[in-house]
Amino acid sequence: MIPNLGLVFFPAFDWMLSPTHPERQERLLYTRDQLVEEGIFDLPQIREYRPRMADIKDLERVHIGVPSIAKLITPAHLVSAGGCLTAADAVMKGEVKRAFALVRPPGHHAMRVVQGIRGFCTINIEAIMVEYLRAKYGVKKIAIVDTDVHHGDGSQDIFYHDPNTLYISFHQDGRTLYPGTGFPNEAGSPAAWGMNLNLPLLPGTGDDGIHRLFDGLIRPILDEFQPEIIINSAGQDNHFSDPLASMSVTAQGYASLADKLKADIAVLEGGYSVEAALPYVNTGIILAMAGLDYSQVVEPDQSSLRPQGINCNNRVDQLIDEVGQIWSNKEKTRTQALNQCGHQWQRNKSIYYDEEGIRETQKETAHYCNNCSGYLTIETTATNTRFGNQKAYIVIFNSDTCENCRKNAMNYAAKEKKNGKWDYVLIQDKVKSTVEKL
Amino acid sequence: MYIPEEVMLLMLLGIDVGGTFTDAVLIDNGAIYALAKSQTTQENVLPGILAALDLVLDEAKVNLPSDMKVLASQITRVVISSTIVTNALLEGKTDKVFLAVMAGPGMSTKGQFPVEPYLAKGYIDHRGKISATEAIDYNIVAQMCDDKKIAAVSGKFAVRNQINEKALSRDLNVFRFLKIFSGSELSGELNFVRRTNTAYFSAAVYTKYVEFIKQIKKSMTERNIDAPVYVLKADGGALPLEAALEQPIESIFTGPAASVLGIEAIAPPNRRAISLDVGGTTTDIAFWENGQPLMAKKGASVAGFNTSVHTYHMQSLGVGGDSAVNRTKDGFLVGPARAGIAMALGGNVPTLSDALITIGLVNFGDSDLAGQAMKLYAVEQESTVDVAKAIVDVAVKKIENTIDEMLKQWSVQPVYTVDDIITGSLFKPELLIGVGGAAPGLIKLLGERMHLPVEIPEGAMVANAIGAALAKPTLVATLRADTTEDYYIIPEAGIKAKLPGGFNQYKAQELLTAWLQKEAAKWQIIAQDTEIVAYEEFATIHDYYSSGKIIYLKMQLAPGILYRVAGREVSL
Repeated sequence: MIPNLGLVFFPAFDWMLSPTHPERQERLLYTRDQLVEEGIFDLPQIREYRPRMADIKDLERVHIGVPSIAKLITPAHLVSAGGCLTAADAVMKGEVKRAFALVRPPGHHAMRVVQGIRGFCTINIEAIMVEYLRAKYGVKKIAIVDTDVHHGDGSQDIFYHDPNTLYISFHQDGRTLYPGTGFPNEAGSPAAWGMNLNLPLLPGTGDDGIHRLFDGLIRPILDEFQPEIIINSAGQDNHFSDPLASMSVTAQGYASLADKLKADIAVLEGGYSVEAALPYVNTGIILAMAGLDYSQVVEPDQSSLRPQGINCNNRVDQLIDEVGQIWSNKEKTRTQALNQCGHQWQRNKSIYYDEEGIRETQKETAHYCNNCSGYLTIETTATNTRFGNQKAYIVIFNSDTCENCRKNAMNYAAKEKKNGKWDYVLIQDKVKSTVEKL
Repeated sequence: MYIPEEVMLLMLLGIDVGGTFTDAVLIDNGAIYALAKSQTTQENVLPGILAALDLVLDEAKVNLPSDMKVLASQITRVVISSTIVTNALLEGKTDKVFLAVMAGPGMSTKGQFPVEPYLAKGYIDHRGKISATEAIDYNIVAQMCDDKKIAAVSGKFAVRNQINEKALSRDLNVFRFLKIFSGSELSGELNFVRRTNTAYFSAAVYTKYVEFIKQIKKSMTERNIDAPVYVLKADGGALPLEAALEQPIESIFTGPAASVLGIEAIAPPNRRAISLDVGGTTTDIAFWENGQPLMAKKGASVAGFNTSVHTYHMQSLGVGGDSAVNRTKDGFLVGPARAGIAMALGGNVPTLSDALITIGLVNFGDSDLAGQAMKLYAVEQESTVDVAKAIVDVAVKKIENTIDEMLKQWSVQPVYTVDDIITGSLFKPELLIGVGGAAPGLIKLLGERMHLPVEIPEGAMVANAIGAALAKPTLVATLRADTTEDYYIIPEAGIKAKLPGGFNQYKAQELLTAWLQKEAAKWQIIAQDTEIVAYEEFATIHDYYSSGKIIYLKMQLAPGILYRVAGREVSL
């Protein structure tokens, strides 16, 4: 019998963003205490794994760092990304049924192009794991269910053009919380429309609301999509005691959701009620994923838990309807949108790096081709980075980008290099897992 | 190593009860003075212990210059490593225990403990805050107590605040138990399940242990030995008899511990090494670094249940010289059962030793008889050497697999910091050390398989008894301070008190050292330095402002040996 759950626990007791920052050494201290005190690591249903360090190659399958990803990260990032890869290996090799990478630093606000730290994140550890699963194990269809209270705008950015990655995020409405995005109309670029499903919930939504949403929408969509792998971005800040958000979910709510979702791999994201929530939510998720009884995992202090407001479920029902429509009409919408835009689709982005005060503007162009999935080009300008103001022209080759597209793109790149407008001209090649300077 | 004169001058008596032999050794002035071997008496270890003891005292008299008669009264310390606790559990000769736990919210306790416990209401959280407390239900407890004389209590996070666990013990006083063991006093470390099981097993073997100690004391008095008597613990530390009564389960698995201490006394490796003590019944495998055996990061498993009993990072594999050998259609099986003595020595059935003798890897007994043993398993044209080689191969592979498993276990020990990952704690062995009768041949072959050099130190015949004789006393204690909540706690001492002013790491060290030294003095333990085993310090933040610190400190009088005895002086 193989263990039900592989657990990679890495609390990074020597990594912080600043001494009083939510991402500080203390964050998983009480979780460690609770897990050790419960005897979680001794259970035969659970096998503990030590995280390995990811390679820069693993990062460059996803990210283009300006000037380079290596210059923007700390060793802790390689361990937390490596912890996800360790979890992925454990599941793919059949050593365990599922795995949970309970690691920090987190990643779901890190976008494809990285200029610095935003939303506590520098690199997107789930996205790195997704591309690793594809490169190493040939996994194609992957679903990510993001249960963090914040919209995972980094994951959305990275998978926006990918028809094989279904990204579903429920979160507190962006009009009331960082990062301010995550609305249903952000459903993917024309080639991947309907694969990015945002479910903004009203503040105060609790266990009832998220389970209503899961049962009424997320479960049926997953069943229809039939992913080979389900990943849970297991943020825990929907908890009623979280200091940064305003939701009403309990440890039981999270645990029973994990039980229903049955993710193949879960990855910790946010969650900053380090004393009152994390020890219980993590214990609950771990027990649920390990197929053990979690019914007694209840916060000892629920005095600040407010019942869910009446409007919350109304919003849920509205989302089930609206996003359900996007999902069922996605093929039709995709064909229409692709016909409309022709060979190119473009979006402009303004990105703020709250941690460092960096402002970045991007013009991202998807180049379509009849023979392959095409390629992307990104023109980016960032001010106030650790390296001053930076301008870069970036070309991104997918794993199936055809020779013709590659030739065209390299011609553009050479031209851009010549015109001297850019500090860097960078080529990301997912086949080679490299980012090279031209 | 600097050895104070008062330590060198001690006359130390060590006794080790093994599966086959009970060994006794007398060490004086840094050298083996006398040694003796006697058959282990399985059903009751005491007669065997006393026989070995009397033999070694006689031996000492013979060796002595006539003008210097050694007297039992000159012995300054006795250390016994016995299988009393191990056997009591193996044979199920333990007491029924009333177990009460305060589990609070969290994981279900079903199946975690050897018996279904009484679930007391009440809870302490991870910061040591009391979330709930409630008196016991006397009717239910009375029913469950039945005829039980011993009790164990344990509460989740009691190591952060013992108030609930103490209250529970107090509530149980009306039932007049002979003794109540409390989980958080036995171990100050986190892991509720392990502490609970440790308290349970301590209670289960308690009366057996009391009886053993009574008899030992009586026997010593009868022989005019008035030196303090210690018992060996699983972590390689020696503990005075009376102190051992407070934690009897710690005296489990002392054989392997004695073996490691023996190697430390005779030939501590100066490289990363794996030691293999190949005895009659088992091979005890341990890891070494910087001349010290590595301690396991987790407590031992007792009768299939996890405890907080500290041990070396060791495995006792059921492969030894006397291991039974069998042939099935899939090949040879070696161990784990013991077949008795080798046919080469007049035994009735083939053993691993017979195979080793046949291929000339060890040299004792009648090699013709050993060859006949091999012949019993030969089919068709097979030579006795072919058979012997196949048998030895199986044994070597079994040992290698166990080592691989141990290496794997070591490599997944928890890592909490980036620094842990970068520096790494992978164990790459550079040397094999073999002790014990069947070691020379077996370990040489293992060395060839693993591409590692092999050392076979001389004169390790009674290494275990030597290890016991030289074992240092140990004490372990933990301190946790929470400056926001303004208290510190030393669970092993049952102390919870307000923090002194200007609290920091050094104040924590002072407090814990003071307690350890006081405790050492109470048990008349030979003075030695305390060392820090673990230290953690976290800044706590509330609402974006620093609110205080959490400090965790674990210190010990380290296990080890009092001094080395030179190999030359040990060789016999």
